[in-house]
Amino acid sequence: MRYLLRRAMHTVFLLFGVSILTFLFSALTPGNYFDEMRLNSQISPETVAALRAQYQLDRPLPVRYIHWLNSVAHGDLGFSFAYNSPVGPLLWVRARNTLLLTATATLLAWLLALPLGVWSAARLGRAPDRVLSWTTAALLVIPDLILALGLLILAVRTGWFPTGGLVSVGYETLSPLQKLRDLALHMALPVFALVLSALPMLVRHVRASVAEVLDAPFLRAALAHGIPRRKLLYGYALRAAANPLISLFGFSVGALLSGSFLVEVIMSWPGLGPLLLEAILARDLYVVIGGVLLSMIFLVSGNLFADLLLYWADPRIRTAASAK
Amino acid sequence: MACVSAVALPARGFPQPQHANPKEELLTLPGEIGRPGGRLVVALRSEPKTLNPLTAADTPSREVIAAMQADLIHINRATQLTEPALAKSWKISPDGLRYTLTLRQGLRFSDGHPLDADDVLFTFRVYLDENVHATQRDLLIVGGKPITVRKVDAQTLLFQFAKPYGVEERLFDGLAILPRHLLEKPYEEGKLGQLWSLSTPPNEWAGLGPFRLKEYVPGQKLVLERNPYYWKTDTQGHRLPYLDELDFIFVPSADAQVLRFQSGETDIITGLGAENFSVLSRQQRGFTMADAGPGLEYNFLFFNLNDPGEKSSPEMTRKQKWFRDVKFRQAVSAAIDREAIVRLVYQGRGAALWGPVTPGDRRWVDAAIPHPPRSLERARALLKQAGFSWSTAPNGASKLVDSDGNPVEFSILTSSSNADRTKMATLIQNDLQQLGMHVQVVPLEFRSLVDRVTNTKQYDACVLGLASFDADPNPDLNVWLSSGGTHLWNPSQSHPATPWEAEIDRLMEQQLSTPGYGQRKKLYDRVQEILAENQPMIFLASPDILVGAKNTLANIHPAVLEPYLLWNVEQLFFRNAAGGASQ
Amino acid sequence: MTQRRKITKWLVVLVVLHCIIAGAGFFAPYDPAEQDRDRPYLPPMHIHLIDAQGHLHFRPFFYPLRLRAGSFDQYEENKAQSASLHFFTSGSSYHLLGVVPSHLHLFGAPAARIYPLGTDAYGRDQLSRILYGGQVSLLAGLLGAGVTLLLGALIGMAAGYYGGWRDDALMRAAELFLALPWLYLLFALRAFLPLAVSPLEAFLLVVVVIGLVGWARPARLVRSVVLSVKERDFVRAARGFGASDVYLLRRHILPETSSVLLTQAAMLVPQFVLAEMTLSFLGLGVPEPMSSWGNLLASLQQYSVLVSYWWMYLPALAIIPFFLGYLGLASALQERPGAYKIDEKTSWNPS
Repeated sequence: MRYLLRRAMHTVFLLFGVSILTFLFSALTPGNYFDEMRLNSQISPETVAALRAQYQLDRPLPVRYIHWLNSVAHGDLGFSFAYNSPVGPLLWVRARNTLLLTATATLLAWLLALPLGVWSAARLGRAPDRVLSWTTAALLVIPDLILALGLLILAVRTGWFPTGGLVSVGYETLSPLQKLRDLALHMALPVFALVLSALPMLVRHVRASVAEVLDAPFLRAALAHGIPRRKLLYGYALRAAANPLISLFGFSVGALLSGSFLVEVIMSWPGLGPLLLEAILARDLYVVIGGVLLSMIFLVSGNLFADLLLYWADPRIRTAASAK
Repeated sequence: MACVSAVALPARGFPQPQHANPKEELLTLPGEIGRPGGRLVVALRSEPKTLNPLTAADTPSREVIAAMQADLIHINRATQLTEPALAKSWKISPDGLRYTLTLRQGLRFSDGHPLDADDVLFTFRVYLDENVHATQRDLLIVGGKPITVRKVDAQTLLFQFAKPYGVEERLFDGLAILPRHLLEKPYEEGKLGQLWSLSTPPNEWAGLGPFRLKEYVPGQKLVLERNPYYWKTDTQGHRLPYLDELDFIFVPSADAQVLRFQSGETDIITGLGAENFSVLSRQQRGFTMADAGPGLEYNFLFFNLNDPGEKSSPEMTRKQKWFRDVKFRQAVSAAIDREAIVRLVYQGRGAALWGPVTPGDRRWVDAAIPHPPRSLERARALLKQAGFSWSTAPNGASKLVDSDGNPVEFSILTSSSNADRTKMATLIQNDLQQLGMHVQVVPLEFRSLVDRVTNTKQYDACVLGLASFDADPNPDLNVWLSSGGTHLWNPSQSHPATPWEAEIDRLMEQQLSTPGYGQRKKLYDRVQEILAENQPMIFLASPDILVGAKNTLANIHPAVLEPYLLWNVEQLFFRNAAGGASQ
Repeated sequence: MTQRRKITKWLVVLVVLHCIIAGAGFFAPYDPAEQDRDRPYLPPMHIHLIDAQGHLHFRPFFYPLRLRAGSFDQYEENKAQSASLHFFTSGSSYHLLGVVPSHLHLFGAPAARIYPLGTDAYGRDQLSRILYGGQVSLLAGLLGAGVTLLLGALIGMAAGYYGGWRDDALMRAAELFLALPWLYLLFALRAFLPLAVSPLEAFLLVVVVIGLVGWARPARLVRSVVLSVKERDFVRAARGFGASDVYLLRRHILPETSSVLLTQAAMLVPQFVLAEMTLSFLGLGVPEPMSSWGNLLASLQQYSVLVSYWWMYLPALAIIPFFLGYLGLASALQERPGAYKIDEKTSWNPS
């Protein structure tokens, strides 16, 4: 309980710190949304200034920050100048799109990494293991920037996949099955890119942890007892090797909102990444803070989640904590 | 070509409004007779911010509003001349101070409510009200005083100007007439500016344009449907528009728009860059691409000619000494390879510029402006005359130095989001290197750029472009007037800094209150000559207007004024029976 | 020891690759900023040994390309003329390693222009730009990793050695830094730039920012090492003999962290090269006309380039051998007995 409380306080402190820093940076950089209007010869500088005042961009910084904090406490994340709409709904829609992508990719990556890693660890040093090692090494060597660009070129030249966007025009008129197919086609490339970039590291970690455990006496004893091999590997060895993997899973969860930034930008997937990029360039203050906070919440929750999972899964940690 | 629309479009003739009023005075448009039906899908770069004409300043909002609203007098985008719209005729008094407009009788708003002179009166009251902060207000201040509007009778209105206005009736283009029956109460409560956001329920909105609001799906599309009370017909008496629906979908990037157009998801495409145009032209399957010729956009390089006073750093003072020398600017202009810019940036689809008026603005082009070809010798001669010389740098390259021995080095700002202008700056950098100048290209985020140019004035040189939205000198008044906010090289001066700027001020003020095209043209020609002599802006190039449309869409006449293809949206129709987007 | 041999093998690979990049002036046929405005977006040129009549030539040759009439991006070979390729020719002047002036190039063609990897929008040779771009990207990665490790080591040592509230505060700061979005920091910083910033200053700024953002992870690792080493007998003994803090840190504790630092270096350099590439790709890195591997790829963000000019993707492949070398070195270093095992997730995660 005390542990939980401490971690919660910690998280709150982090959130405050990041929000202040972000607010500061965004407000101190020159230029704001209304600069574009200045270049429009039709609109006089006085009109622009009046609109600026209307949006309260003329008040001093601490005042704006307090106002913002106050509204967040009431569930209102501020107003976006560029999109002319409240920030909250804007963020949820984009965050939902990002989560759709990353959750699918993370799930796929883990579902593939676990059996591959275990299989590889069971045949340590032999041909299949070495082939897999080389493949993961080769994949690791290709950064996701290059991978995403390469896949995009593939999509464009073959025309098999749509190159961007969430769904096609006329989506609402499709039957549910067609809708699913349309969405899946649009998701295919970004998910593929994300899985390919996450898979090698995961496989290596699973392989390393399981390989460490495979030598343990208790496993040999279980083998002597006649427990079938598959049950041995997945039921016993994997569970014993779970600790570092659980932490890793926590990190995966934490990166759900922020890990796909580059892939989203390159493949024009309408997620949080492109929104943040645009908002930063447009000096859309509240969108930036809201987006950064959201990603940070996920990141920190991911860590917390990992700690909790570990606490629950590993009796050694529980007894150690209560012994303290 | 089968239409994969799940929405069955009823096979019907032209829709008639509920209660046809025989006393309606409709406008008949010449042109090809079309067939009713079809849904036109158009991509917008971003969601419009609002449907409220008073507060709309961004391009997507203006584009959508243009299809939903109507004005008293309209500029025909093809001929670039004015023609009657809601006002069936007008008279300008000989002294140019009084405009009498006669409204068409019997017209109705899109919700069936009748239109009368009181609506016009209300509209202009709102536009001129200081508390509303309408973006149109600045346009209606002539000679320092706002215009006044008076109702003469139920059909006639009198507009009074303090001074004659050179643009004359072109002023009325784009000033949408607002429905008093819906907006008067909110106006009195002071809530007018917040009304008519995208999610307005259709029954709270009314307009006089060819289409009316049907539906808005956030993040995806805005759907407009035919206005059954639209006041234009074709020569056979059929009420326009032909199209049933106009769908605006939101596609954020130019490249994504190209993809959607290619796959047939959208029916037209505008605002194309030359490279995308080439890609689409290579495989014209089911659509045709067209080059409408040079538009009104002019791109230019300008130097920081502001007078910073005591706050100036020694570095800035040194650089401005070069920038202020007209021979230096003329030398830079002589060294720039404009043909290469047109070739490499616009793939030949553009025109080199030596003045702000592009070949697309037929009525105001001054043919007498010299178009000197690129000449490095002439540039070097000019620099020598200005006291510059060349020295050899340690690595063997020659460096330009001024009369005090300082090497000539400066930076050119461009907008990082505009690839074309950054390309121009890179080409200029290479050109000027051949003169021995060391130039850096600094792409900066657009808003920071604007801040530096108009606010903090912390920059050396900048490449920017402006696009007048009308073929007339007046929209760009604030660029040429020394007191103007967009007088980019030295904005918002309290009094003109140089004699030639004072002369330009005088000429522009004069043409502002000179009625009659002939006189104004002479004055504006002189302005262009002064600009060519003094080169405060070194004009570079202008891109052509590149558009594309599906082959099944008829009555497409690309214009070089916005909106390039939708200016005659009421006359567009699909040739095949059901029309609409096909997969 | 096979371990040592493995490490040496990877080191040799890396050194060779870096030498090629360092000697970009020699290996590249042209100056990377030289524009050939008559030949924008030229596809890679073919080098032949056998001509149209079937004769074998001793010297490789090529046919100059020219624009097809009436087109802006279609080229054809001018089979009437052929130009031969010379090796170790004299060409544009450059400075090897920025110091030694030279004219010598590995290959070139005196009669015409040879573009083995095609040209970009301004007609600049892609091969030369890739080689020179490597200098920028690799240097950014190396320097950035240097800054990060220096900062991380200092902070980690201070936190681990002194402990107490200092440790707490520094580690809280580290967590904050790990949670901050580095991309956004960079945007804000870029906007603060004084305007008259030369390419060199822009480059250094990129390096410093990348370096400043990444110190948290090495700091935590160094701290754990310091924590475990600080209580070891030989350190206590030295303290008992009256050694000062600084002496202890420098002479006894720092060497223990060396393996961590080395392994981190091998892992961080490619990540920072990638960071520089990402920044330049998004337009926030080095400015024109300097090339870096990132801004060479930036044109691929345009659909027309993606569809029409496939050779603009080739710079992407340049980084792969370097990644391979560094990651190979890192895993070889990690296999050393007694080396501190790092099992945190190490893939780059911009957030």
